[in-house]
Amino acid sequence: MGERDGIPISIDELNKLKAIAERARRNVIKMQFYDHSIHVGSSLSSIEILTTLIFRYIRDGQEKINKDWLILSKGHAAPALYAVLHEKGLIKEEELWKIQAIDGLLQGHPEVYIPGVDMSTGSLGQGLSFGIGVATGIKMARGNGRVFVIMGDGEQDEGEVWEAATHAVARNLDNLIAFIEVNGYQLDARTSEVKPKDFLPDVYKAIGWRTFSCDGHDILSIINAVEEALKARKPAVIFAKTLRGKGFTPIENTKIQRANPDVARQFLLNT
Amino acid sequence: MLQGSFYSIREAFGRTLVKLGEEDKDIVVITADVGDSTRASYFREKFPDRYFNVGISEQDMVNFAAGLAAVGKKPVVADFAMFTMRAWEQIRNTTGRMNLNIKFTVTHSGYSDSGDGSSHQALEDIALMRTIPNFKVVVPADAAEVERSLPVIIKEQGPIYYRMGREYSPSITTGMDYKFEIGKAYVLKDGDDLAIMGAGVVLWDALKAAEELEKMGISTAVINVPTIKPIDENTIEYYARKTGRIVTVEEHTIYGGVGSAIAEVVVQKYPVPMRFIGSTTFGRSARSQRELLDYYGINAENIIKKALELMK
Repeated sequence: MGERDGIPISIDELNKLKAIAERARRNVIKMQFYDHSIHVGSSLSSIEILTTLIFRYIRDGQEKINKDWLILSKGHAAPALYAVLHEKGLIKEEELWKIQAIDGLLQGHPEVYIPGVDMSTGSLGQGLSFGIGVATGIKMARGNGRVFVIMGDGEQDEGEVWEAATHAVARNLDNLIAFIEVNGYQLDARTSEVKPKDFLPDVYKAIGWRTFSCDGHDILSIINAVEEALKARKPAVIFAKTLRGKGFTPIENTKIQRANPDVARQFLLNT
Repeated sequence: MLQGSFYSIREAFGRTLVKLGEEDKDIVVITADVGDSTRASYFREKFPDRYFNVGISEQDMVNFAAGLAAVGKKPVVADFAMFTMRAWEQIRNTTGRMNLNIKFTVTHSGYSDSGDGSSHQALEDIALMRTIPNFKVVVPADAAEVERSLPVIIKEQGPIYYRMGREYSPSITTGMDYKFEIGKAYVLKDGDDLAIMGAGVVLWDALKAAEELEKMGISTAVINVPTIKPIDENTIEYYARKTGRIVTVEEHTIYGGVGSAIAEVVVQKYPVPMRFIGSTTFGRSARSQRELLDYYGINAENIIKKALELMK
């Protein structure tokens, strides 16, 4: 168990986390001034979940079996991860503005050579299987590390996710928590227009997962869900209702990934 | 040493793996429901806590192994060559990019799964695997070379694709005295006029062909190139210079396989005329691997034919 698990969050800490999330959000919006091709919408869907996990739950460490692992399976939200890791002091500010640049550190999708990144991702559907491997290895070595895997709702189209979903139950892992962000969009369309998604919580439950839900932009709601999930004694999945482009009104709750830089500049000036 | 005491590639694999498991407790074995077929089942019987059958789920198998490697285990993936390729993108994007210490020890490659037909016969896997950065690719010649090389493969840090067949294992290296090293080619027979180079069980045909060619007065070298990547450039160049003619032989497509890898060295170091023997299309069912090798012309007869072309 993490030393702070179960301890109620103070108003001060909650406000601190909200401020971190807000700075990270503005930095993601600002990143598109420098590289227009980043996935702003998908990144803004993940800001509060990443902030909460990185600042409240993830225990760093050199010992692989006694640290917590954070796997961003929806790797295209990398800008959000980088922005929160910057708040944590692991990534320098000037690197944020060099995202995807030939002379920059930050790649379009996470790579393990970037500080704070536990798995190289980018190709969807691979994080959960990796998380099961890590969680199993930790249990074999009687470590206390826990594994958090963040997936998207569109990502649930991938076959490997379902190979892994049944596998996690077969291994009876109690140190694995998956997030599925339900923002209702994938690259080309609304998720429901591509393939049905409403059944997801029922199916995970039927397979043998403990399922929870939260408001993925409300830090308190995220914390409550994680606290419950940590007590699940089974693989646990948290369905986090989020918005694509949350807080960035020109693209909020649309499939549009990014705005015109002038629009983004104006937005930051006005808010 | 069990060396040469049995006559099956997968038996050699299964038994050697158990021995290695006794020596190194970090070795874990992962399969996608083919534990019995690959003989990884021997490891399961001995070390059930270090053996994982993920089910018929190759993509999950690969990234599960990746997670275990990330926390310091030494995963040995035991699967059919063909179905491991189903997860090529997982292997490329996670194992390769993260340079993880995973050994893909695959069986049933080439025509070795003769009865099951083309769906099960991996003839493209060497080409696919040698393109991935950080990966090494090794193809043992016979059961004896499995016993000799597997301990070296498992001890080597980093990802390796280790390609085996099934039962068929005519004696090629049995009784030979050499220490297996990754990246080294071995001279099975020396010669001056022509060199036959290749990897895997088809080297038996290379030796047969060399015997016949000698009778015709053609001094023929036979080179075993078990490591396709990184390939032994020095030995290949040496024999290109020495003999001036090379025939390659492989139980794999000639497009991008062992012959191509050898040719990449030859054209850059010392260009000489070459001929390639291998597959060019999908396989089919037969009652034995031997029948298929003959059916597709991957045999001594065809090696001799190509050799004589080069001697003209």
